[in-house]
Amino acid sequence: MEYVNPLTGFRLDGRRPNEMRQIRGEIGVVAKADGSALFEMGNTKVIAAVYGPREVQNKGQQMDSQALVRCEYSMANFSTGDRARKSKGDRRSTEISLVIRQTMEASILTHLMPRSQIDIFLQVLQADGGTRSACINAATLALADAGIPMRDLATSCSSGYLCSTPLLDLNYVEDSAGGPDVTVGTLVKMDKVTLLQMDAKLPIEMFTDVLQLAIEGCKAIANYIREVLLENTKKLECMRGS
Amino acid sequence: MVGLSAGERQFIHGGIAQDLRSDGRQRLQFRPISVQTGVIPQANGSARATLGATDVIASIKAELGKPAPLQPDKGKVSIFIDCSPTAAPVFEGRGGEELSAELSVGLQRCLLGGKSGAGAGIDLSSLIVVEGKVCWDLYIDGLVISSDGNLLDALAAAIKAALSNTGIPKVSVSVGASGEDQPEVDVSDEEFMQFDTSGVPVVVTLTKVGRHYIVDATLEEESQMSSAVSVSVNRHGRVCGLIKRGGTGLDPSVVLDMVSVAKHASETLIAVLDSEIASAEAIDDDDAI
Repeated sequence: MEYVNPLTGFRLDGRRPNEMRQIRGEIGVVAKADGSALFEMGNTKVIAAVYGPREVQNKGQQMDSQALVRCEYSMANFSTGDRARKSKGDRRSTEISLVIRQTMEASILTHLMPRSQIDIFLQVLQADGGTRSACINAATLALADAGIPMRDLATSCSSGYLCSTPLLDLNYVEDSAGGPDVTVGTLVKMDKVTLLQMDAKLPIEMFTDVLQLAIEGCKAIANYIREVLLENTKKLECMRGS
Repeated sequence: MVGLSAGERQFIHGGIAQDLRSDGRQRLQFRPISVQTGVIPQANGSARATLGATDVIASIKAELGKPAPLQPDKGKVSIFIDCSPTAAPVFEGRGGEELSAELSVGLQRCLLGGKSGAGAGIDLSSLIVVEGKVCWDLYIDGLVISSDGNLLDALAAAIKAALSNTGIPKVSVSVGASGEDQPEVDVSDEEFMQFDTSGVPVVVTLTKVGRHYIVDATLEEESQMSSAVSVSVNRHGRVCGLIKRGGTGLDPSVVLDMVSVAKHASETLIAVLDSEIASAEAIDDDDAI
């Protein structure tokens, strides 16, 4: 199958190889949570809710030097094309929860909140490739909404390599094409990679290009997230009436 | 778990007794309800309903299946509700399962009628493709995103809106050579049939706090309830289902009174919901063009 048109260079959904899907972020979608956000990357749509910092629920897990960060990823029954009853806590979601937790832990200043707990809940409403990237971006927005101190904005984006072309932000069709899928999470200002996953194989000389492309994607997302946060802060300032 | 001080508890009780609740509403007044349809593009129909800070999504998926041997002339409908941990940390892991099961069964009872399918809000015989062989299975999935009380009413409203948004593909049947085989069916991509949702009831939950009962209780008010009665009422004012929850016993005459109050309150709810669904559909159609 032609994932990149050899004549025009466009992808199946009409994007250029280094073009991201449309992204949209919204803050404050869950009224009862301490912080919440909705993040869309094309047709992928996730909601993140943050509860905390609060008292540790399970005293055995309490840490005296830093906060406990917990994360749960769940997919709605209707999120994928064919309806399937998903059991909670299957291997895939446990792995994604772990990955997201580690990425977010790297950006949260956990040492400022010892003996407390921060819960991040992620709910996938629509899955069309790149759910873990979308989850990390949503979690960053939600954590910022909850006012949790962070080193930097953790953002994530995926890239791949199909038809001898590095592609940015794969959708479900491109993801299931069998080519490599590189998911990268970065702390943009500090210029650090906090998450890196790849499946399938890729020549080492191409890997640099594909990785670089994903990092550029992360930077673009970070810029957008910063805009959303700024807009939100302006709105809050307006509501305070100062 | 809602943590309330003794003062807050007394404030809620006193407010309800004086017909002026903490958020300024009267006892039989609903919070503003808003409906958005077509929120999940890959489903046959979907809707999102918000009732104050309560936020739920319902999605409907239709799949071809085989009718049950005992009811060869009826399709099948099932309802599954999921409580997302985003709504409350207690729903984490398996924590939401009990409430999810309670809501699923409650909605089945209120919307789908008896086991035989008699009295269902949806005309089950309209789901049949070939009698005894092929029918549509409707899967109704509800998801609680944000919870501030009165989940049952919100979910029922979302399901009603999602059903009116649902398009079931038209199916043409090619007659097979032998009567024994499964007939071959051709599912159309272009033509859809709409449901008649005028018979789908709404659910009104009356929560008894102290000596009075209120509609559309918030989470704080629900924590103070002694018992609650959920009544599903259709457009003609007929009661389609009833559930009593909560530990305290109720006097039979009080139950009857609650049912008649619920019936009265349902008239306003149906009117508001109908206009919300109509305007949501209008916006959805505009987007499609």
